[in-house]
Amino acid sequence: MEPQDQTRGDSTAFFGDAQAAPLSCNEATSLCIKAARGAGMSWGMAEEAGFAAAWLVSHGIDGPTHLRAHLERADGRDWVDLCPSVTPDGWQNANGQPTCPIILGATMCDYADLPEGPASGASIVLGPVSAPILLVPFLSELAQKKGLALTLTWATGAICIDEDETWLQPVKQSLGVPQLALTLSAYNARPHEPSAASTQNAQTTAATIAALNTLAMRTTVPATEASRAGAGSSLSDND
Amino acid sequence: MSLNTSSLAQETVRYIRPAKEVMRLGHLGSSHPTRLSFLRVLLRRLASSDWQIDRPVWNVNAKGVGHCVYRAKSTERTYSLVAFAHDLPADMRSDRVIATAWDATFTLFDGDPTAKDIARLADNVPFQEAGRISPKELTLARANRSVRLFEHVVTALSQGRQPDLAEIAAVGYLMRTTAVYGSGKFGASDRADIAQRPELAAPFQVEMLTVWLIRAFTVDIVEHIAAARGGRSAVKLDRDIRRTLGVGNSTGLGMAPFIVRHPVLLNNWMMAREEALARVRAQLTAQSQAVSGLKAALEATIANAAVWRSEHPVQIRKLHDLRRDLALLSNTLDTWDWNGEHPWDALWMWGAQTLTLEGQEALLSLMLEPHGALIDDLADQMGADEAASFRINGAMPVAELRRILESDYAWALKIDFTTPENVARFWYVSEEKLEPRLGERATEEGATLEQPLCIARLISELYATVRNFDGAATVAALMLAHPEHRYVVRRAQITKHHPYAEVQDNLIASDMLPIDLLRCKLAFFGASQFDPRSDRWVRINLFADAPFPDEIDAVGAA
Repeated sequence: MEPQDQTRGDSTAFFGDAQAAPLSCNEATSLCIKAARGAGMSWGMAEEAGFAAAWLVSHGIDGPTHLRAHLERADGRDWVDLCPSVTPDGWQNANGQPTCPIILGATMCDYADLPEGPASGASIVLGPVSAPILLVPFLSELAQKKGLALTLTWATGAICIDEDETWLQPVKQSLGVPQLALTLSAYNARPHEPSAASTQNAQTTAATIAALNTLAMRTTVPATEASRAGAGSSLSDND
Repeated sequence: MSLNTSSLAQETVRYIRPAKEVMRLGHLGSSHPTRLSFLRVLLRRLASSDWQIDRPVWNVNAKGVGHCVYRAKSTERTYSLVAFAHDLPADMRSDRVIATAWDATFTLFDGDPTAKDIARLADNVPFQEAGRISPKELTLARANRSVRLFEHVVTALSQGRQPDLAEIAAVGYLMRTTAVYGSGKFGASDRADIAQRPELAAPFQVEMLTVWLIRAFTVDIVEHIAAARGGRSAVKLDRDIRRTLGVGNSTGLGMAPFIVRHPVLLNNWMMAREEALARVRAQLTAQSQAVSGLKAALEATIANAAVWRSEHPVQIRKLHDLRRDLALLSNTLDTWDWNGEHPWDALWMWGAQTLTLEGQEALLSLMLEPHGALIDDLADQMGADEAASFRINGAMPVAELRRILESDYAWALKIDFTTPENVARFWYVSEEKLEPRLGERATEEGATLEQPLCIARLISELYATVRNFDGAATVAALMLAHPEHRYVVRRAQITKHHPYAEVQDNLIASDMLPIDLLRCKLAFFGASQFDPRSDRWVRINLFADAPFPDEIDAVGAA
């Protein structure tokens, strides 16, 4: 594959070096879904990864780079070493591994209306979470849907995800780390309204796109003569 | 007589065709454009609102190389098509999405482009996928000449003659687009950022506006080159001939997955169309104006079917069916009793019993045509907020999920996926070109990398799991135990509230025709003269017989 092969039907391959890469949300979603699938997620979970990365992009945070970092660490690990175990004591991984923020976030949303889910007054030990910033899009949705203020606490700090989105800057600084041991607590809050002021999309980097593309390419099938022959018209286009 | 909306709705519901009938490939693959098609929605808005269309920039040399700008302007907004005209050697002309050069390239700019914008676009748009556009742009597109007709028309006009009508009818367009990208592709504006504008709320409006303005460009460039070649003896294209020209479009398998990947959108398109038909059938009486409107529409459809050509055996048979059905309909209408009760429903029932699927779907389109006042509001419901149905309802008991599968997906559970012919194909993305393709499972490598497009089989696998799962458990617990089913559980929950979300057929069966999926989507675009070039590759015509920018005000709502 030539790096500048113009005839490839994708939308994100043409960045190089240290060039900033301003992806649209659609491009970020599409690339991240494919990369997550390539790194072993199921298609349905890969869609959650696409959602999380694009949510961060639209809130001014380079989600694809955080997802890349997580996927490279999680690559090849089994579901049982990535998923939370939902117990009254907490939502930690049963094998003591850091949980995948996508699986944890999606599962929290799955449990939104169930007794095990975060309700006002609850405090849930999440334990070590990989790339914890990727949990934020799910918590923001959950907070909005349930009218909750969700506080993430770790050894040296805390962030409250609530209505005004002033927490975005601190999130960027504190949660953009490879791993954190977290506790989640929930309180009733006024329901969120998505902020009217639109944030500029975050740019990602050429290196991130290249790395995500490498993972995404694992979902593709090498060409054969048969596949090439069937792809176009059987008639001339010069008419 | 007065009707309140709830009784009207109830009255209408009786006439709605069920999804198990209309969502089959046979029906979808016989779809005809209707007045709810997206290009018709665009033309109605342009004609009814205060849109001004002009061409502020024309900077093209005698060889037809240069750039120009077409502008659609309302009091609120301006959209500008920036067109780059190139001189393309014949050996580089290909309709495949993977071509590297084109006769003309385009972008739809959000506003009035400055000279600096144009310079930036000139560095990127001609390279299409290898360039980059910005959130100030809404689409990226390219087109190739129909070599035969383009040259014929240039030659004729340059010599002071009008082109041969048979030549015009045989092709139908001067150029065909080979891709029109929107929705954030190549750095363009995301759909979510523009969807709230009233003029862009219906699906694919920026794409349709792009193509409509390209159509004006195709005639202008032909007249320009003819004038450069013929000097004083050159003439302009006759306006009646011009009116018949559309923009060709060449499209392949890439469009098929879209239909499957956007279940809420598909549901909304289908429901709008089906509700429109039901409203028409539910009318107690027929107004004479609507009856004459139907007859006029039938004349136009018969004329279109007469010039509609295809070399594909499947389409040749369908065209034969269509022409025969239209003749039958025409005869029947000569003596139709419009004074009975529910005469539109009676006509529909006659069609359903008498006509082939081609004829039935054509009749649907004809019956909608004279009923704009009754149905055009449905176009407002054809967009979709897909994010709103993304979250899985984890609180749903597994027993309820099982019931959804057994009722809404009974069609899928009936398919036996252990027989070779029912799993004969697999959808995949090619490593070489990153385009969707369809492989033969028995003879081609790569089935382990199958794309999740055969929903029926995924549903059947999910059903095998939930049959043995505790019915009192929650879907949230099921998702932790079986993450592999997350994708299809999301769909099943969507389908519960969106009955027309699924194509109710086996999309990997040996006899499945991808062109059926393409035809459904292209009919919603408003494409006429669907012409398969293989079982997975088609050409169509867009905007044929529609007004040009200098005619749009004169014709009123199309």
